[in-house]
Amino acid sequence: MRAFLCEDSLEGIFTGIYDAWASGLGHGQVRLLMKDQYVPEFFVEYEEVAPDGEKSEKVARSIQRKISGEAFRVVCRAAFSSKEERADVIYRFLIEGFRHGGVVLRLLQNPAVAGVFALSRKVANEAHQYLEFIRFEQLKNGVLFAAISPKSRVIMLVAPHFADRFPGENWVIYDDVREEAAIHVAGGEWITAKIPGVQVDTFLEVYGASDGYEDLWKTFFHTIGIKERENPKCQRNFLPVWYRKHMTEFKDGR
Amino acid sequence: MKSGFMELEEKLRILSDAAKYDVACTSSGVDRAGKKGALGNSMAAGICHSFASDGRCISLLKILLTNHCIYDCKYCLNRRSNDVKRAAFTPDEICTLTIEFYRRNYIEGLFLSSGVFRSPTYTMEQIYEVVYKLRRNHRFRGYIHVKAIPGADDSVLDEVGLLADRMSVNLELPTADSLRALAPHKSRDSILKPMSRIRKNIVASRQSMGQTVRLERAWGVKGLSNGLFGEEEYRRRLAGEEGIGLEDGGSGRKDGVGTKVLEPWGDRAAPARGSGILRPPERGLDIRTFAPAGQSTQMIVGATPESDYHMMMVTQALYRQYDLKRVFFSAYIGLNDDSALPAPGSPPPLLREHRLYQADWLLRFYGFRAEELLSEDRPNFNVLLDPKCDWAVRHLEYFPVEIMSAGYEMLLRVPGIGAKSARRIYNARRFGSLDFSDLKRMGVVLKRAHYFITLRGRQMFPVCLEENRITAGLIADNRKKNWELSHSECYRQLNLFDDMKLQAAPEAEDFHKAAGGQM
Repeated sequence: MRAFLCEDSLEGIFTGIYDAWASGLGHGQVRLLMKDQYVPEFFVEYEEVAPDGEKSEKVARSIQRKISGEAFRVVCRAAFSSKEERADVIYRFLIEGFRHGGVVLRLLQNPAVAGVFALSRKVANEAHQYLEFIRFEQLKNGVLFAAISPKSRVIMLVAPHFADRFPGENWVIYDDVREEAAIHVAGGEWITAKIPGVQVDTFLEVYGASDGYEDLWKTFFHTIGIKERENPKCQRNFLPVWYRKHMTEFKDGR
Repeated sequence: MKSGFMELEEKLRILSDAAKYDVACTSSGVDRAGKKGALGNSMAAGICHSFASDGRCISLLKILLTNHCIYDCKYCLNRRSNDVKRAAFTPDEICTLTIEFYRRNYIEGLFLSSGVFRSPTYTMEQIYEVVYKLRRNHRFRGYIHVKAIPGADDSVLDEVGLLADRMSVNLELPTADSLRALAPHKSRDSILKPMSRIRKNIVASRQSMGQTVRLERAWGVKGLSNGLFGEEEYRRRLAGEEGIGLEDGGSGRKDGVGTKVLEPWGDRAAPARGSGILRPPERGLDIRTFAPAGQSTQMIVGATPESDYHMMMVTQALYRQYDLKRVFFSAYIGLNDDSALPAPGSPPPLLREHRLYQADWLLRFYGFRAEELLSEDRPNFNVLLDPKCDWAVRHLEYFPVEIMSAGYEMLLRVPGIGAKSARRIYNARRFGSLDFSDLKRMGVVLKRAHYFITLRGRQMFPVCLEENRITAGLIADNRKKNWELSHSECYRQLNLFDDMKLQAAPEAEDFHKAAGGQM
């Protein structure tokens, strides 16, 4: 048994898939693990995979051509998950995918397909909830800044939505778990960049300011609930507590 | 600056407090991409931005333009005779609030309603000014939901609809009699008139853009043969065959909007893909469709003695005749002390509201009809079972359903199988057989479904297909009890009252007893 250790990025995972496939050991004899999340075992050979643009592009292209564009999106979402088995789940899915072609996404009774479907659905749901729960604050220099602490790497999935929504704004969405930001320039494109948390903290110290609209929003939020219908359980069901860390209306008590 | 905010905050408090009893806070139905130089976009699925302490979603900035009102509706907090703090926003204040909240991703858009100030037409003009400024001056492309004020001039209504995404007129009470009793200034006619006006405008605008006459519905819904939005239904309506309409009680009003405007070619001309805006017919102001997200309405539950059956029949008639996107229900909360109303402080009928919503979903997504769920003899929903389970245990002749071969419509009717899982089953079973754990992974709630399905001829547990047992199992909703039920033998002592139907329908307590195994 040989295990391929992938780096945590699309490129890393796709390169791992390429190398595992090309090793010629047979699907039963290879496993894909994440470099920073695996637990070593006896009787397993470990091989580190260096991300390689060319190889990962080949994998991406074959998925799109031989399976489907939708399958590629599903795979990407699954790769953005933080589950340690994600690389291997994708590998198993691709085996089925290359065999069945585009219909593979409907074969939910197949465990490999169901696996990647479950991961992808989870990430997609989290990304959608971040479309809802991201809160921007207006900084002194006019930049809209939002911090999030997501479980999955949702930044690539939410940024296009906000680029479409606020084309004329300078905005930053900062993932403080992965220390990664999506940055959008007014009238331009958006990019992602790794930014250390310390740097963001100093940035916020200089430009951070709370304006009156945050208080107005809190006022609105607290008056719109109907006392006679109070139902915190239902509220937690739709808006789990862990999302509330960066949300304006839940800051400072009340 | 600071004092300006204080004043604004006070207004916001008063006018959002006054608006909170309106329910239709959804932002769905329109797909509109963003645009360079403008602000905002819209997603057909809708986006909720927060959830208030009552668990209801906050999607739009839900406020009244003013809570001054010349009317004196008995159920309303803002009625003329109530001594409450009054305030009014200026159109510019609303625009700033909307834009600033929207930029911070607090909201999806604006929900604007109002008390009737001076006259309905004057109020509607004020609303128009807000919406116009948002769309034109602020280039706002987010979602706007506007309440149409009954009695306002048609020309204002027409203009507002060209700028808003959704319009709604509150029906408030299901019968003309109740309306007369509780809202002396409103009449059934004055509410239905703007509703059919909006409907007419929507149809005309959709036809002019080559869209279907009827609004888009969720995947597969228009194909359901029994459904409210199916082809069959449409043809029946074209042929002039009317179901039970809204013309109850005294008003005796026949509404012919749907049939007159519809042309046979209208629905076939050019099937639109998705919903929303196809092309801007006029340069500059590029949102010219009329209320592309359709219209909705709202009814108060529990202020008047109407039964659930009555509510559902009215709901169904609204969907059929006015092609409404949604009908909302609002549990009445005792605010005013009035002999015609439940006493203040009596608990709002939340469970009843919940059951009505469940049934509404069955009408809109599952191809059910109101008369299947309730009847004159059984006018109210079961307290212990949801409407779908309730229907299923009363119609065991359709069950068990064989998952591998049943039609899509039948799959939808199984409790525990929703629209999504039915679709997944439908797709997956063409390529190979399924088992129960696959169903679970696809999202089927086996806890409810297992009584009603077989997979390749086998049940999950050997459950006897027998009404009382299944009811007890569903109510118990408890694995151990279900196990005991499914493993006990299928006979029981003959009971004169139950088996010979010597008694009326079982009471709520009987279900408790059955669930507790005392019966």
